Amino acid sequence: MEIDPVTNGNTDAVMTEPTPAISPSRPLVPSSRLSQLTESIKLEHQLLRVPFEHYKKTIRANHRSLEREVSSVVSSVGDLADNDWSKDVAVSRLTSLVSRLQGLKRKLEEGSNVENLQAQRCRARIDHLDSADVENITEWNNTKLKRILVDYMLRMSYFETASKLSESSNILDLVDIDIFREAKKVIDALKRREVASALAWCADNKTRLKKSKSKLEFQLRLQEFIELVRADSYKQAILYARKHLTPWGATHMNELQHVLATLAFKSTTECAKYKALFELQQWDVLVHQFKQEFCKLYGMTMEPLLNIYLQAGLTALKTPYSFEEGCTKEDPLSQESFRKLALPLPYSKQEHSKLVCYISKELMDTENPPQVLPNGYVYSTKALKEMADRNKGEIKCPRTGFVCNHTDLIKAYIS
Amino acid sequence: MELKSIKDAFDRVANKQKLSYTKTQEIIQMLSQELDKALILLQEQFDHRPILASLKKTLQENSPIVNQLEVTEKELNMALTKYPKVLEKQLSSDISKAYRHNVEFDTHVVNQIIANFFYRQGMFDVGDCFLVETGDESECSTRESFFEMHRIVEAMEKRRELGPALNWATSNSEKLKQARSDLEMKLHSLRFLEIARDQTSQEAINYARKHMAGFADSSLYEIQKLICSLLWSRNLEHSPYSDLLAPSRWNDAVRELTRQYCNLLGESSESALSTTVSAGTQALPVLLKYMNVMVAASKKLDWQSVEQLPVAVELSEEFQFRSVFVCPVSKEQASDENPPMMMSCGHVLCKQTINKMSKNGARSSFKCPYCPTDVDISRCRQLHF
Repeated sequence: MEIDPVTNGNTDAVMTEPTPAISPSRPLVPSSRLSQLTESIKLEHQLLRVPFEHYKKTIRANHRSLEREVSSVVSSVGDLADNDWSKDVAVSRLTSLVSRLQGLKRKLEEGSNVENLQAQRCRARIDHLDSADVENITEWNNTKLKRILVDYMLRMSYFETASKLSESSNILDLVDIDIFREAKKVIDALKRREVASALAWCADNKTRLKKSKSKLEFQLRLQEFIELVRADSYKQAILYARKHLTPWGATHMNELQHVLATLAFKSTTECAKYKALFELQQWDVLVHQFKQEFCKLYGMTMEPLLNIYLQAGLTALKTPYSFEEGCTKEDPLSQESFRKLALPLPYSKQEHSKLVCYISKELMDTENPPQVLPNGYVYSTKALKEMADRNKGEIKCPRTGFVCNHTDLIKAYIS
Repeated sequence: MELKSIKDAFDRVANKQKLSYTKTQEIIQMLSQELDKALILLQEQFDHRPILASLKKTLQENSPIVNQLEVTEKELNMALTKYPKVLEKQLSSDISKAYRHNVEFDTHVVNQIIANFFYRQGMFDVGDCFLVETGDESECSTRESFFEMHRIVEAMEKRRELGPALNWATSNSEKLKQARSDLEMKLHSLRFLEIARDQTSQEAINYARKHMAGFADSSLYEIQKLICSLLWSRNLEHSPYSDLLAPSRWNDAVRELTRQYCNLLGESSESALSTTVSAGTQALPVLLKYMNVMVAASKKLDWQSVEQLPVAVELSEEFQFRSVFVCPVSKEQASDENPPMMMSCGHVLCKQTINKMSKNGARSSFKCPYCPTDVDISRCRQLHF
């Protein structure tokens, strides 16, 4: 890893010698780097979890459908034996069962191929985590940033860029484009105010949703009911409610009553409590809720990874002085856009002083202690010595223009 | 990082899945065979009823295989349930615990940052595609500048061409001098070595006279080295100056060029997005640990509204861009209201601490907490880092 990033980075009229690659004040501490690496790998839960949930889902679905088919073949044979069919019928039925079994065999084969591909993907991700070490960490972090960006784009439905970036960076195995495409179908349908695909998704994941006590399906049903009321199809609405809403009565009676009362109020109501139910924004709420359930089901974080990392990073970088000018351009917080994002965030807490020389941007420590000009401005010994050497012992404060002699400097002790 | 337990748990899943596949295959195979057998019998024998009855019996009594499948399925299910648990134990299952949900990022700003990132990395088609898809078209002002930078860098890296780089460096000569960058000299010396290799030493000397003499102040030693290397001009690799041929000199020049180019644009030399995400990677584990402790102690904290993080996050030195002074007595971070003050002995404390030590100026002197000096308050003065 490179360890010379902070020097030389200002455009101000101040000067510095190029720093040697490894200055004595910055020792490489492999053990701390190593533990940092371990800690950062622990943040990758989503990377392993998501493809696994997908794999598990495929296994279960394949298994269920095969089981059904096999038992139906067995029971067909039972039927055949129990009924008194002619021989010809028996032969033709058996022959059709044989070809059905052949189809089943193919289906098993295909299913298993899909499963194996998904298993490979799970493994590729474990291997990717395993491949991170102190030597290749820069490259690994680059890949990580791209993964995080793809995750952001998928959640924002920027599919084209997500595919392009994953292909050009060769990280298709490390991102979940196909899984998000499944979500996109549902989201697009909800945006067109159609609940069918969302309901189908709920049915597909019934057990899991039930376990997490999700009420997404209930909310979709309520919305459908509201739409019937909006269209003045009251009779249909009542029939619909009998069929689809009553099962939720035991757990969600209040909401159920609230929504059913719209039959009395109609869609033109001015009563705020019921008017709200007819707002078209309710559909956006459904989209949001679907996204939440979707993320939960796959073990994803609710927010894009990018937002989580950016927030943590900006907070850690922010100091009470972050918005002052005159800082090195290397600080992300010297840029307008990053400042905007950081504005509402708290600044970091430090337990020890860390002083950076305004001139050389180098750390001021025992090797390069801070020195104070008579006007109270502090710079590093090295930078001041260099300035004095160049200007026959004269020191000019770059921030105030104050001029003094090299002998006027006092060393400051920072503990 | 010990990923072994994760790998093992996954291997288990994959094995059980294979086993379940084989068993299902066997069952289907067995069913087909039985049906085929029955069909052959039906052709040979007149009465079909006993054949069907015995087929039914065989199929319904095939319990051993079905039982095996059931056992396998059970094991597979167990493995499938266990793996996520292993993941949750070994990794942080929800990193959004450390997220402040009341802070919404402006999507537009985030998208601008991302587009800018693609352009500075030279991924122009991805960046363009991104802006079209987000609907923020034609709003990335830095595209052209980065395009030019990548043109220059590509010429150097792919074709070993210095022309575009030298042009840029010459036209920004003054600014580079102000930034104390030796980029121009670096490029000239690469060019000098090319001339010495491909043309005559005389031409190389002429080049040095014309372009390098002006750098005598800052790069005298380098110039001496280059001129001396002419003595071995046809055999440089076996000379004391063989290091002049090192490819790393090209990489250095490219890196310095990128840095200066970005700085002149008002950008950092490392991508700011990547710096921030790296800082986040270091900060998150600390924040998560803190949140877990707080949750375990069932303490409620006002995470959403704090002005300062409640826990110290030590970033590596490459993230140290600004001076932070922490008063060694009060442990508080200096700010405009509470600036650092140096005492007559050279030790530095925060203003509030000094006020406390002097009982708000009631005493005109107090003892420095770090040395035997008696500190005169009127001689304490504010520092600016």
